[in-house]
Amino acid sequence: MSAKTIRVATDVGGTFTDLVCFETDHATGQSRITTAKSDTTPPNFEQGVLNVLEKGGVDPKTVDFLAHGTTVVINALTERKGVKVGLITTEGFRDTLEIARGNRPDFFNLHYEKPAPFVPRYLRREVPGRFNYHGEEMKPLDLSGLPEILDAFRADGVEAIAVCFLHSYANPSHEQATIAGIKRLWPEIATVASHQITREWREYERTNTAVMSAYVQPTAERYLTRLNEGLAAKGFDGNLFIMQSNCGVDSLDSVKKIPITMVESGPASGFWGAAELGKFIGEKNILALDIGGTTAKCSLIEDGKVKIMTDYWIERDRTSAGYPIMVPVVDLVEIGNGGGSIAWVDEFGKLHVGPKSAGAMPGPAAYGRGGTSATTTDANLWLSRINRDYFCGGSVTADMSATEKALNAVGEKLGVSADEVARGIVRIANNNMVNALKLVSLNRGFDPRDFTLVAFGGGGAMHAVALGVELGVKKVVIPAGASVFSAWGMMMSDLRRDYFVTKLAELTPGSAAAIEAQFSETEAQALQQFSEEGADKTKVTFLRYGKFRYQNQEHTTEVLIEGEITDASLARIETSFHETYEREYTYRLDAPVELVGIHLVASAEVGKLKMQERPLGAPSAAAARKAARLVDYALEGIHEAEIYDGEKLQPGMIFPGPAVIEDPGTTIVVHPGNRVEVDGFGNLHIHLKA
Amino acid sequence: MSTVTHDPITLEIIQNSLQATADEMFAAMRKTAMSSIIYEVLDMGTGITDGKGQLASSGAGIPGFIGVLDKSVKVLLEKFAKPGGIEPGDVFITNDPYYGGVTHLNDLVVAMPVFVDGKIIAWTANIAHNSDVGGKSPGSLSADATEIFQEGLRLPAIKMISKGEAIPGIFDIITVNSRMPDFLEGDLWAAIASVRIGAKRLVELAEKYTVVTFQAAMDSFMDHGEKIALAELAKLPHGTFELTEEQDDGRFFNVKVTISANEFVIDLRDNPDQDAGPSNACYDDTLVSMQVIFKALTDPTSPANEGSFRPLKVLTREGSCFHAKEPAAVGFYYEIGIRGYDLVWRCLAPHMPEKLPAGHFSSIAGTFIGGIHPDTGRQYTIIEPQIGGWGASAGRDGNSAIFSGVHGETYNCPAEISEARNGLVVDRMELNVEPGGEGKWTGGHGIRLDYRIRKDNSFLTLGYTRSRILPWSLDGGNEGSANYALVMRKDGSSERYAFASGIRVDTDDVIRVITGAGGGIGNPRERDPKLVAEDIRNGFITPERAREVYGFSA
Repeated sequence: MSAKTIRVATDVGGTFTDLVCFETDHATGQSRITTAKSDTTPPNFEQGVLNVLEKGGVDPKTVDFLAHGTTVVINALTERKGVKVGLITTEGFRDTLEIARGNRPDFFNLHYEKPAPFVPRYLRREVPGRFNYHGEEMKPLDLSGLPEILDAFRADGVEAIAVCFLHSYANPSHEQATIAGIKRLWPEIATVASHQITREWREYERTNTAVMSAYVQPTAERYLTRLNEGLAAKGFDGNLFIMQSNCGVDSLDSVKKIPITMVESGPASGFWGAAELGKFIGEKNILALDIGGTTAKCSLIEDGKVKIMTDYWIERDRTSAGYPIMVPVVDLVEIGNGGGSIAWVDEFGKLHVGPKSAGAMPGPAAYGRGGTSATTTDANLWLSRINRDYFCGGSVTADMSATEKALNAVGEKLGVSADEVARGIVRIANNNMVNALKLVSLNRGFDPRDFTLVAFGGGGAMHAVALGVELGVKKVVIPAGASVFSAWGMMMSDLRRDYFVTKLAELTPGSAAAIEAQFSETEAQALQQFSEEGADKTKVTFLRYGKFRYQNQEHTTEVLIEGEITDASLARIETSFHETYEREYTYRLDAPVELVGIHLVASAEVGKLKMQERPLGAPSAAAARKAARLVDYALEGIHEAEIYDGEKLQPGMIFPGPAVIEDPGTTIVVHPGNRVEVDGFGNLHIHLKA
Repeated sequence: MSTVTHDPITLEIIQNSLQATADEMFAAMRKTAMSSIIYEVLDMGTGITDGKGQLASSGAGIPGFIGVLDKSVKVLLEKFAKPGGIEPGDVFITNDPYYGGVTHLNDLVVAMPVFVDGKIIAWTANIAHNSDVGGKSPGSLSADATEIFQEGLRLPAIKMISKGEAIPGIFDIITVNSRMPDFLEGDLWAAIASVRIGAKRLVELAEKYTVVTFQAAMDSFMDHGEKIALAELAKLPHGTFELTEEQDDGRFFNVKVTISANEFVIDLRDNPDQDAGPSNACYDDTLVSMQVIFKALTDPTSPANEGSFRPLKVLTREGSCFHAKEPAAVGFYYEIGIRGYDLVWRCLAPHMPEKLPAGHFSSIAGTFIGGIHPDTGRQYTIIEPQIGGWGASAGRDGNSAIFSGVHGETYNCPAEISEARNGLVVDRMELNVEPGGEGKWTGGHGIRLDYRIRKDNSFLTLGYTRSRILPWSLDGGNEGSANYALVMRKDGSSERYAFASGIRVDTDDVIRVITGAGGGIGNPRERDPKLVAEDIRNGFITPERAREVYGFSA
């Protein structure tokens, strides 16, 4: 065994490919952290990964564990760069994909444009065969037309085939037979059937999910294969894991088959990181906030657990119905508010911030790259919340005259000064983010006062305290290395799969056996999958959730179930449903409760990073103090703030606000009346009242 | 951190929070409702009014419900004006259009006053279609009702909860009158939870920013709505426009629209007397339908509130089908509503082609199927509006298979769920490719939906318009196609319906729902041959018909 373990996380983003490397010395337990950034290299994204490893001085031969996150899937979807897909459906349902759900979210707009299906009608074909909702065959599958269908697909240049039949969540055998039939007639074509991705009902959502998975499959598979080969060529023989949208990592082979599960892998790792961080610092209830350049995302972690759902859509907003993807995705709310969000005034003199962003080019006006729009970053600079002499960690000279000009342009429309505009931008941006945080907390019956706000991403720490005060959270925590926190989260991930299966059962005596059987069957399936991939069966742990509702309702409430399900335990489960339901919706009913489906979480540790806590001394924070300056706190006025060098902060340091902590990746704004403590891991705990 | 200065940023933040609250009320109700018409179809709306009942913010699933709640609250304020009439913790209910209920008896409006320091600062309210409120037919809607008394239990703006405590007996009266009491009770509690959550948020908001600032924010939000409407009004062509249109039943409807810089007057006075059956709308509902089309013309993207509608005037004649008098039956009010809405749209479309596409299938196409679930033995009722084809826009083909103009964020029911819940079989759910809607730009397609019945003695009730008079076209495009239903009997016979109630259907009878294509725009001969070739390839038109209509040859 070597003297150290090297773990690497690489993350392919739209503009940059990031690397974080933790080199843990077994003797001391200390980790040395290296970060690097290089350009993303479309369409050969794997090249960017190899480049960044080289740039970071990481020799693939020495790497033990490599976690990889990528936006390849989401980009292929949003840029429409997937392949031509053919779809095979149940007779009478080829138009399901185009009919969708019929909704018009932009309902006053008579020119609303319904999102176009990813497969045109002529590539959507039907075969006879039918199950009822119990999964019983009503009409046998008839594949006699399959050769003609495949010939037509071939002639039309189809590169992947999706199959989705009615009620396949209850009985996948027709889908399985059809896939086998396709493989016999056309072995090299990429295929996916809906039951391979999800065992939940709703035929449009399942069909679209299968189609989107097929759409990205050849691209993603090629990418993952090349990445693996590229790493192998450089001598890498450690474990390669791919980050998933459910906060877990998965093996390369498994992801190649169903790449759609990577769709939201970026945000997932940060939220997982927040949950893991909570374990170190003894905070089980966390509101996690990730503010980047264009968007802010938030998620709620209750009792140390991230919430995973299958109600995920892309391109869905107030003006478009979007497209559903029924895969396990961390429950998050995303809004168009980041550091680069542009402030603008509508024709009626109202100030707005975002969702349009200045991006990396031209970026905020202060970048001096020709940007003329005032952004949230410009406002933060103008108010001296960001140090104009240490902009982007000192790597960019802030063009304050450009910022002033941009703010004044907005101010002229509002009839106020640049100072007022900047304060207005910060307040509106904060309000947008507070409303997003409320959506994941208050709106779901959680009281923010029971939660700790963990903020990360490049811009999280700038706004966190103001948001925390507004929400009334217990305290705000800024993790060490907040700007590369997502990569850290990736290294803390387990091998994890979430199984959602629709299964109807009434909670009456005698039904426990069937429910227990459904869980056991799914657990056995999970164990088999894990062991086929070489995971140690004994290390696999399960979490069982039931999805319950009052009879006749539709939406379900998820309840954690401990232990074996017996008729005796049903009453306990029911009580726990009533309690969860009442917390969320303020009342309970004296109505029968039924199970609609199960959610099984299977996970296994795969050598995650262990964090070493350093002893708290009693060092004086004065050692890290570098200056003082006047900072505009918007609502709380202008105060002289102590400025600290984030890289010089030591465990045990304590200091009061008003203060600003600057490190190369982020700026942390501490308000008057706050008290900051540095913990043994280097995280900052900001107590809102001293 | 309270402040009494009304700085614009604070007002903006309060306005955003009002929207967030209306949305939260909506989400809470949707998730807890028991009837699929509420949680799936989203035939519901939530709203916040100021203390005087003026609409401040709404979180609605359908535009046809946006302007309803303020009218209900105003009736409650008047009826309970005496001291002690409205107290903290009270919750009110109405469903009677002659008492602030606006629509029809199935729609229960629940409203709650929001108190701070003993004064009403706002109201939270919601409306939702309940599955059965009694009356002569299952589902309460009856095509042959002649009086409102036959359409269910009337709740004429009453108090249901007093100071937080349910008034004994009220819930009993409501539930005992329903054929589906469990659903009704569950849905009612979902509605109560929703207004309570909203009220709690508004109290927090007003306490944080002070009542004065909170009210100033509501006022300025409405003034802002009015400013937007006036600005848009200035851009519309000014003058008087008139249209008379024949209806499926042979009656003629008329509208005169007069647009000026500060007013938009819709005159519906010259219309037939109220119907002896249930195809009538009360004045409040006609006003709501007119608000929907008015908003579509005056910045559809900004939020709708009281101010947005200030320039709108709607003139009606009492005793006409657009302004029914008690005790006229109103069960199918919504088909009158959408006819009025479409009438204004059609009247103005030739004058503002950039704002208005050609006519759509333009019917709620309300379809009610019920009976005993063959597997569970329990009563089931499907209550669903249908999706259909929309008209072409100038420069673009119309959408296929979306809800009508008065529905919006409404979802159709998946076949997989419908089969489990309702115990019938959905044999097909596909696009309807009957001819119609061809043009340089074509109308979108409606649907063909087959329900196969699994249990004898089930029923079908329906109310479709645009079944004889087809969706209208523009500039030489073809008219769209018809909305109708076929009952295809097991013995091979078949009946066609558009408006009927209580049709008996038995095992292996198939109810085929057909909705129409929208109207086309422009001469079909001018359609790009490449697009015609795509239409043929996609099976939307046969090569023979393409030759005939488009003059197309491959």
